[in-house]
Amino acid sequence: MKKILAFLLAAALLMAFAAAASAQTTLTYANFSASGAQEETLKKMIAIFEEKNPDIKIDLQLTGYNDYFTGLATRVGGGNPPDVFELNMENFLAYMLRGAVADLSDLGIARGNYSEGTLAAVSSEGRLYAVPMSFSTCVLFYNKALFDQAGLAYPANEWTWADAQAAAEKIRALGEDIWGYFQPVSYHEFYKSVKGNGGSLVSADYTAFTANAPENVAVLQAMLQRVRGEGRVQPNQEDMAGCGDWDMFTEGKLGMIVTGIWGFPTFTEKAAFEWDIVVEPGFKDKATFFFANVNAISPNCAHKEAAAKFIDALGSDPDIVQLRLDASWELPTIADQSRLSQYLDITPPANRAAVFDSMNFASAPPALIEAGAAAEIIGNVLSTLESNEVTAQEALDDIQAQLEAAELLK
Amino acid sequence: MYLPNANTRRTATAVFLAPSLIGVAVFCLLPIAMSFYYSFMDYDLLAGSMDFLGLKNFARILTGREFPQVLLHTLTYLGLYLPLILLCSLGQALLLNRSFRGRAVLRTVFYTPVITSWVAAAVVWTWVLSGHYGLMNQALSLFGIKGPAWLSSRVWAMPGIVITAVWKDTGYYALMVLAALKSIDPALYEAAGIDGAGGARKFFSITLPLLTPTLFLLVVINVIYGLQVFDSVLIMTDGGPGGATTVFLERIYKYAFRQYKMGMASAYSWILFIIILAFTLLQFRLQKRWVNYDA
Amino acid sequence: MMPKLRAKQLRNAAFYVMVVLMAALTLLPFLFMLSSSFKGSEAIRTIPIRWIPERPTLEGYIRVFNMPGFSFGRASLNSLFLALATTLVQVLSACMAAFVFAKLPFRGSDKLFGLYLATMMIPGTVTMVPNYIILRIMGLLDSYTGLILPALANAFGVFLMRQAMITVPDSYLESAMLDGASLYRVFFVILLPMVAPTFFTLVLLAFMGAWNSYLWPLIVLTSTGKQTLQVVLGNMNSMYRNNEHVLMAGAVLTILPILLVYVLSQCRVDSGIALGGLK
Repeated sequence: MKKILAFLLAAALLMAFAAAASAQTTLTYANFSASGAQEETLKKMIAIFEEKNPDIKIDLQLTGYNDYFTGLATRVGGGNPPDVFELNMENFLAYMLRGAVADLSDLGIARGNYSEGTLAAVSSEGRLYAVPMSFSTCVLFYNKALFDQAGLAYPANEWTWADAQAAAEKIRALGEDIWGYFQPVSYHEFYKSVKGNGGSLVSADYTAFTANAPENVAVLQAMLQRVRGEGRVQPNQEDMAGCGDWDMFTEGKLGMIVTGIWGFPTFTEKAAFEWDIVVEPGFKDKATFFFANVNAISPNCAHKEAAAKFIDALGSDPDIVQLRLDASWELPTIADQSRLSQYLDITPPANRAAVFDSMNFASAPPALIEAGAAAEIIGNVLSTLESNEVTAQEALDDIQAQLEAAELLK
Repeated sequence: MYLPNANTRRTATAVFLAPSLIGVAVFCLLPIAMSFYYSFMDYDLLAGSMDFLGLKNFARILTGREFPQVLLHTLTYLGLYLPLILLCSLGQALLLNRSFRGRAVLRTVFYTPVITSWVAAAVVWTWVLSGHYGLMNQALSLFGIKGPAWLSSRVWAMPGIVITAVWKDTGYYALMVLAALKSIDPALYEAAGIDGAGGARKFFSITLPLLTPTLFLLVVINVIYGLQVFDSVLIMTDGGPGGATTVFLERIYKYAFRQYKMGMASAYSWILFIIILAFTLLQFRLQKRWVNYDA
Repeated sequence: MMPKLRAKQLRNAAFYVMVVLMAALTLLPFLFMLSSSFKGSEAIRTIPIRWIPERPTLEGYIRVFNMPGFSFGRASLNSLFLALATTLVQVLSACMAAFVFAKLPFRGSDKLFGLYLATMMIPGTVTMVPNYIILRIMGLLDSYTGLILPALANAFGVFLMRQAMITVPDSYLESAMLDGASLYRVFFVILLPMVAPTFFTLVLLAFMGAWNSYLWPLIVLTSTGKQTLQVVLGNMNSMYRNNEHVLMAGAVLTILPILLVYVLSQCRVDSGIALGGLK
């Protein structure tokens, strides 16, 4: 009898051990940047991670960019957030400032693997709140054929807005339907461009708005001069009449355009002329976008260590990073730039180094908890300026007044 | 209806009413009560914070710059849409009322826009309303008219949305009018014909008055839905250009999901509800003046 | 004799012109969509519009079916299942409730009906988060049940069916009961067929609503395998922004199934109108 009992006990213990050993952690992961062209790539990345970590399983939930953040906010607000989720820079700030992402500082993320600038962007007061995964930016694209036709030297890294304006005027003179430059008068372009004149939309200590400071007025004035009046070098909405900005460029009607590097595939496919890129010129100094996609962990997640392993792998595991490079899916935010030579060697465009140079001038969006409201106020005023006579000073005074009245700084 | 057994009546009432009532209570009334509660709070969707604000949300909305514009845009939509939808659905119904070869096909044709989803319709019409290359402006140029930049123009964006909506909804309301047309006793027309009335006279003296109950229904429904216009605006213009097509639901959505302010969004929808209620009550009050319920 | 005939011919001609004009106006956007879907990478934007593509190709359609990850076919089946289930639940519960409001009134039933009407005036966006929270508490997130249950709360359907049922004379139903029929039999076998046109209209409406529903399935269903067709199409909007022929092909494909359902239901409505006309 004792023997049987002992045997049963041993068997029970064995089964318990076996169960514990095969206990799997499942993590839900919400992502938008892979939706569409890169879904297979992301799935392969996840497969690599699962192979290296057999006790962790990832449940991938992909949504297209348009509705991703509505869905995510509903899930967070409804108390059912995914364990791990992807965020772009603006939303990262919104989520972090509201405590909707977990503090990752003590979860063993290998910080040395990531470029310093990107780590700074996802940290606050010394604590780490997300792990960067990929990076993208805007650069100045230019149509070599049009430049040749106008007898101009190609844009150089040292260019400022003044140089660009001069070249744009010469290209505009080439024909009725040929335009010189394109940079939308929008909230995004504006908050970035004012940095190029040493300005900012809000004071350094976030206690006051500085929208209508003189250096900002100068920047807006230059932007408006491009797109207004008889001598405009940039087409306004009516001039474009339904033709997209990218299409104008690929159809050879636009000399220069400031837009994202995700345009490489489309431009390669559709442009019938030679084109190249350069770091986008700033008003005085350079200021560029920093579009990073980062991964964060929900504060409700029950398996934060496993989740941390996952996002660390997505950001810096060598095999996973290689997959990203092979698929030309944005750029990894790793510190070791030598691995990126593969990216540099693909043409067009020839001057891919400009993409990395841009990182040196990266400017982050204002870290306001009410950034959404501010963006809307500013965007609404800016978007009307193309087609009316309001001066830069008046517009910025209006914006300043509205921002103050909305009590967005608490 | 009379039932001999009171108990049967009670059980039957309960059984028949239960599914719908439970659904309404749990998925309609309860969320409505919750949203009423939120409207007095500063409820941040992401942070989960809930601070009591009293009437501050309502005050901010009603005294802000934005509200008159939102009201104007929504009423503009209604003012343009309502007459057009009544005219077009009446017209279509009259066409479909006569029997002719291929009528069934035509009915299907007219109904196709109705069954299209807004996602698909918006894709197509954003195209059609394109400045240079769009179907609309190319057609207008055949008559020598230079079409505006429609969805990129502050003045013409809302009319563009209205045109799309009329195209999309006419088939549906036409069927309602058609059903009403068919229930008009043909004997009335015969009698009028014997008295020497012509087509137009028949229309204005018989058809139109007898249609008024249906037209009333149409107006009530369309005011309620029109004040809540959303999908078309969000997909086609996103409230633009430059805030020229902001409407109630678009604002509510953006307060909730771009600024994460559920309190403001809830307050906004309660204000909208009062407006809708007021319009509806007004219409019911006025119906005695023009709606003809005699058979 | 002659002038009268001429007038009638003119009227007929005018009628046919109107018909063709209206049909053309209704169809043109579709034709535009159809033609663009076969265009491939050639310029979709041309002046004047090229109705017949220069180089017709099925590229758009092929790319729709080969979309990485989102299976168009699977999504269609999901949408179909959801739409059918939702329609069943919605129409049945609405008819049952309308029966009570129309034929079995009780003290306070007017006020209750008024409450139903009032719910139609509440904008849906704000009840979205509370509804989501409720579903979460009930454990119904990421499930089809979670999408179908809220369909029970359909005030418009109750309103519509009640309007139709009121016109059915009580005497019909009472005499059937006197003949020994149970209330349930009266409801299903006698009342419903008499309101068939409205019934099938509601069926079509409910099906369409469920088929075209977008925001709610997007939020509630998180597993990719459960996604509906509209969500997939919405995702395509951001994926294929500069490839309009793919977008148009997707839009064409989403419309076809529901067109079929419509044609089928119209046959029913016609025969229903015939039945219901037996006064």
